[in-house]
Amino acid sequence: MSGEPVTLGKIVLVALRELFAERRHPDGLAAALTFTGMLVLLESLAFGPGRAREPATASAVFWIAVVFAASLVTMRSFDRELEDDAIDAVIALPGGREALYAGKVLAIAVVVAVVAIAAGALSILLLDLGIALPGHLVLVGALGVVALPPVVVLANVLTLRVRARVALVPILAFPILVPQLLAATQGAAAALSGDAAAALGWSGLLAAFALVYAVLGLTIVPAAIE
Amino acid sequence: MLDDRPVLRGATLEAGPGLSLLRGENGSGKTTLLRALVGLVDLTRGRRSVTGTPLYIGHRPMLLRGLTARENLTFLASFRGVRADVVAALRRWGLEDAMDRPVDRLSAGQRRRAALARLETEPAAVVLLDEPFADLDVDAIILLRAAVNGALARRQAVLMVTHLHHELDADAAARFHLKDGIVTPA
Repeated sequence: MSGEPVTLGKIVLVALRELFAERRHPDGLAAALTFTGMLVLLESLAFGPGRAREPATASAVFWIAVVFAASLVTMRSFDRELEDDAIDAVIALPGGREALYAGKVLAIAVVVAVVAIAAGALSILLLDLGIALPGHLVLVGALGVVALPPVVVLANVLTLRVRARVALVPILAFPILVPQLLAATQGAAAALSGDAAAALGWSGLLAAFALVYAVLGLTIVPAAIE
Repeated sequence: MLDDRPVLRGATLEAGPGLSLLRGENGSGKTTLLRALVGLVDLTRGRRSVTGTPLYIGHRPMLLRGLTARENLTFLASFRGVRADVVAALRRWGLEDAMDRPVDRLSAGQRRRAALARLETEPAAVVLLDEPFADLDVDAIILLRAAVNGALARRQAVLMVTHLHHELDADAAARFHLKDGIVTPA
């Protein structure tokens, strides 16, 4: 029942619906917070205090944790949609498929941002990280968070009715996310060590990734949702 | 086609304003036909033509767990651009005390009532109901009959899949039977 253009209002409605449901049953958020927290803690133990504080190492572990968190939150979100066929009520409406995709991307970016802030704070405190360029770090963090959901949501949509979705989503999404992971890691490491030009360069790349995959998702999703 | 299996073969169904009933054995493709009409199942051949945006209420509630009945219905009406009195509709369906509980904490019958309250909050020229009597108690069946009669009075086209409730036959403008993927007048 697509065909009508999706409006910003419909996208915001879907995002609010998602955030309300997540607020009431924050199982995806709780799982993601626990996972990222444990990963940061284990990293500090496994690498030892000296190595774990290195900007490249701390950034890499942080972003790997955030990528997994985004995957967890998104899968839980679509599990909820599939229970009682709730998703059908949305995608049967004009503009529903596009709004579902874009709304999910928006809402999951918000949830992942919460996870990233918590994991980032934990990393800074636990590892006693020095931050040379805090503003640049926030910029890289924000764009890194925004760059992940377009791909993860798309992978969930493509595997929506597949029984092995839990296994397929990482297989589909993670290889595509390697460039985003590299850009976010390099950008964060540059911000931590004081290389402003590199941090801004990687930020631009993250913004481009977010835009390209969001447009790609909006193009593919109307035909891909079953 | 569903899971690479042909479900509907040359099925032709034309339903105008009034009540149309669709019956058929389990697995005959009734749900698939409704889902195809609303665009949830792609057609490999043929075409569908539906006036406006139909309201499809499936045999599962289609409400998001984690949201209340009121939030679900408000979202769906808002998505259609309709300002509906959701609270009044849910009250009429006997959910005054349950409308602000997450739908996952409602009984199956209450979830079904909440789903059917969409008949009042989402006006549509075409209404597709898949086994709407399932999980309903006697009071809710009366409410559903009244809601369907209200829709018919508003000249809406109601296509209903139901195995039972043969008393509806008298009110039906058209009756269809689906067998082996082919729709025939009953």
